[in-house]
Amino acid sequence: MSDSSPEVTVLYFAGASTATGTSSERVRLSSPGPQPLSSLSSLLLSLHPGAGLEHVLRTCQWSVDAEMVEDPDSVLLKGGEEVAVIPPVSGG
Amino acid sequence: MSLPIPSSASVDARHETDHGVAVLTHCPLDTQAIIDSVADDGAGATAVFIGTTRNTFQGKIVTKLEYQAYSKLAIKTMSSILNRTSFHLHLQDVRGGGFTRMAIHHRLGTVPVGQPSIVIAVSAPHRKEAFEACEWALEQVKKEAQIWKREYYDGEKEEDAEWKANA
Repeated sequence: MSDSSPEVTVLYFAGASTATGTSSERVRLSSPGPQPLSSLSSLLLSLHPGAGLEHVLRTCQWSVDAEMVEDPDSVLLKGGEEVAVIPPVSGG
Repeated sequence: MSLPIPSSASVDARHETDHGVAVLTHCPLDTQAIIDSVADDGAGATAVFIGTTRNTFQGKIVTKLEYQAYSKLAIKTMSSILNRTSFHLHLQDVRGGGFTRMAIHHRLGTVPVGQPSIVIAVSAPHRKEAFEACEWALEQVKKEAQIWKREYYDGEKEEDAEWKANA
């Protein structure tokens, strides 16, 4: 069983939610133990194949627990985090 | 299935800092009430920016706009902008050096054409810092705040409505 794999909540906004057809989902990471945020992209793409998500993710940033992430390689997901895909913003 | 996917993270939010208030709301923006909220007897100037939804984009007729935010993060960003605007004025060495109070209100959800989507009001001792603070804060909100706009066009299917990017 993969019970020790961390599970995170992923939030999608704007074009990312259009591409995935959802605004939020629980995602179990692919292997046990903390994993770098940068490994999440390929997992999300495998969950939403052919949805145009790859194109969207190329322009997106990430946040973890409502903090913008500068370097996705340096952030480890331990489980329980709220991760958000942040497309280019268009407020105003 | 033409409706946008609702996000439970796009909710009303409000945060006060020493420099003013940041608000995200689904309610129509009351410009006069926002201006009144920054009133101060020590302020000789109030600058106000009102951003309204435009009815055309590249020849297409815009029927409505939809705003979505990651409110938890966007309200932090807007509060940070309130505080950094003060620092920005000092860096620019704007005469007087500071503003008195600022309010940044951004609308969420469906905004009919012609209605305000953003109102920023700044009071300051003098006009120069009021204008400078208002413009700089607006530019930072457009650049940084985790808010997204979707435009719906006349004669096009709702699912084809486009999510915009400011960059």
